[in-house]
Amino acid sequence: MNDGSRLTLAHFAVTIIGKDRPGIVADTSEVLYALGCNVEDSSCTMLGGEFAMILIVSHGKPFSKKRLEAEFAAKNSGNGLSAFIRTLKDDEVLYREPAGELCLVSVYGSDKPGIVYRITRELADRGVNITDLNTKLIGSETEPVYVLMLEAALPQGMSADDASQLLENLKKELSVEISVRLITPVSL
Amino acid sequence: MAAKTIVIYPAPILKTPCAPVEDFDAGILEVIEDLVDSMRAGPGSVGVAAPQIGVSLRACVVDVSKNRLGKDNNHGLLLMVNPEILAKSGSAVMREGCMSVPDYTGDVERATEVTLRYREPDGATREFTATGFEAVAIQHEIDHLDGMLFLDRIGSLKTGLFRRKNYK
Repeated sequence: MNDGSRLTLAHFAVTIIGKDRPGIVADTSEVLYALGCNVEDSSCTMLGGEFAMILIVSHGKPFSKKRLEAEFAAKNSGNGLSAFIRTLKDDEVLYREPAGELCLVSVYGSDKPGIVYRITRELADRGVNITDLNTKLIGSETEPVYVLMLEAALPQGMSADDASQLLENLKKELSVEISVRLITPVSL
Repeated sequence: MAAKTIVIYPAPILKTPCAPVEDFDAGILEVIEDLVDSMRAGPGSVGVAAPQIGVSLRACVVDVSKNRLGKDNNHGLLLMVNPEILAKSGSAVMREGCMSVPDYTGDVERATEVTLRYREPDGATREFTATGFEAVAIQHEIDHLDGMLFLDRIGSLKTGLFRRKNYK
């Protein structure tokens, strides 16, 4: 779809979350399908015992957020799912992915407060753009281990080694393992 | 010859197994030249297969020598007709993209060493073993000759690492 045609569409960010069970995606997409909405982009996963859906949906203009909210409210009444909907402006819809090298940063070690914050603050201050991030608490109750995996686009001119260097001090300070590797897609 | 427009999915030719080349004549030479020109024209491209330029024949070209990942380990420009993989070993996951499937990439597991046999455009038979990125690129291109796209081989979503915990 080119940019011109996308602007004739209304776009919404839809977040659905609730206790996991079979059928959450089917129920959600049924509402969207019945309304004639397109699911343009989505990411859905289990988090703890919850299932979380984040979707970018579009519909030919005119189409109101109220309509979408009403349909979800009707569908989700009594089923424990909550829905949050936000209208997207045209400049949010036309966003392009950053062009720098793509890295995977893995961080893990004994659980302690501040791992996510310290790592991501360091990256943010250098203009590193996180494109994907997962965290998980693993290990045993007596020795909990925190795992953070993130993918990030480096700013022009920053190498994976530079990014690794950037996080070097945090390794010692947080006593965690940190590794950075290049995962820029290969064009075949 | 000339760089051709790259065929983009959902063109049916990309999902159709290609016919072996029977005649090593001017026709196949022209297809090979078009493949090389199309590869050179594609930004950062390291290979093109015949169905990607609209020709359903078992021919493809690969050249990883100018790529960061392949520059130290390659066999230069490979012009491959009727290529067959005789043996594979090792495995590595790489995030692949394809000119025929724009705006999408995915993690694909491939062998890191492949022994292959193919015919040169003049009909001569050649056999050799490729490793590393060159081996990955060759497998991606040969997949095109079998009507396979990297989308058929994506092994896990990005969250795969965490899923394993559930199978303990």
